[in-house]
Amino acid sequence: MRNLIAFFRRFRIFLFFAFLQGIALTTYFNYLAYPRSQYLTTASSLSGKMLEYHNDIVKHFQLAYNNRKLQYENTLLRKRLANSFIRVDQHSVLINDTLNDQQYEYIPAVVVNSTINKRNNYFTLNSGWRKGIKRGMGVFSPNGIVGIVHNVSEHYSVVKSVLTEDINIDIMVESTGIPGLLKWDGMNAKIGSIASISNDLPVKKWAKIVTRGGSGIFPRGIPVGKIKDFKMVEGKPLWDVSIYYSEDYRKIQNVYVVKNLLLNEQNKIESTIPKDIEEQEDNP
Amino acid sequence: MIEIIKHSIRFVLFLIAQAFIFNQLEIGLGIQLMVYPLYIFLLPLEMNVFLLMLISFGLGFGIDLFSNTYGLHASSALVIAYGRPYLLKLFEPRDGFDPGIELTIYSMGYAWFGYVFGAFLLAHTMWFFLIEQFKWSEFWYVVLKTVLGVPLSLILCVLLQFLFFKKPVKR
Repeated sequence: MRNLIAFFRRFRIFLFFAFLQGIALTTYFNYLAYPRSQYLTTASSLSGKMLEYHNDIVKHFQLAYNNRKLQYENTLLRKRLANSFIRVDQHSVLINDTLNDQQYEYIPAVVVNSTINKRNNYFTLNSGWRKGIKRGMGVFSPNGIVGIVHNVSEHYSVVKSVLTEDINIDIMVESTGIPGLLKWDGMNAKIGSIASISNDLPVKKWAKIVTRGGSGIFPRGIPVGKIKDFKMVEGKPLWDVSIYYSEDYRKIQNVYVVKNLLLNEQNKIESTIPKDIEEQEDNP
Repeated sequence: MIEIIKHSIRFVLFLIAQAFIFNQLEIGLGIQLMVYPLYIFLLPLEMNVFLLMLISFGLGFGIDLFSNTYGLHASSALVIAYGRPYLLKLFEPRDGFDPGIELTIYSMGYAWFGYVFGAFLLAHTMWFFLIEQFKWSEFWYVVLKTVLGVPLSLILCVLLQFLFFKKPVKR
């Protein structure tokens, strides 16, 4: 017993250090694995408020650029209004007809905090579950996709951006429809990469990459980027494709959160697909 | 008493500076500027190690709250707080430190401050990126980020002292 006490007395500084280090590292790795604690993140209301003040100052730095972007988008949308079409015959398209069901709704939000130079980058938005945002919804900006909602509080939400290691958004080459998964190697915020394109499929430089809409998180056809170059992966029949992102994540401010009204229906019918027997035996 | 107030005010200023100014600067190449190691370095020499570690942990956690890193800064601040007594023992001047001295660039000289604070920053930044990356396959990337980031942070901390710290009167 005396030896034990002597041991603790001797190593008390190191033990205290190890204890605090344990707290810090568990919170860090826990958050990376399961985002449940909201107190320690920018989604909590105190630091959320502070960041909003900060954003109030900083947002004016890129006001001209953002205005130009919104104006451009407005002109695009204005072109689609009913009063900018001429009726060519009796059977032309009506705007709110019963042939087209609404599938996606969009919730506007503003990025109040973002980083680009970490290994895994998270963005904070100024809208939370009060505005209908839920975990797992997609986020995009007028120029391209941004990420997936990771954690939601009452007035804020944290987005896992495309600048994280395992973002895995399903995308495709627009012209040929070849599917792939989006990754990021952590080096450069302008360049992403695509995994799992088989190397017998033809891939072209500068081909446009868009979302595929397969998992119901994003609508089909939201821009992602352009192919920068591609090379063989050694020992595997795959292309290693790198792409330029179409959005500049250093300046990002106005974004939209995607709400898929038919997501439950899609999940329900996809859950009826029978599982392969081999797969079940491999992974019990 | 006046020392406690001085260091409390510095605590808040360093927290705000790191969280709202230097963490928001995107220099590129994965460089991150660190100024709060300077605060930990300048805490009084006679301070109890437990208190030193607690203050560093609090400062790191405060910065984490505002930058979505959840304990990363706290962990690296703790490492240097734990290592500070050993480092200072290693680089002690021949007749020991004067009692009550503050380890600024004015009182310790350019060369001493450069070496010791450089080593201090190197340990901090290396640990920070190692934990953030957490993969041996990306080890050279960690080294690159550290080697690029430490000199910039060192220059920044020296400049901060020239700008905001009063030069003590020579006796």
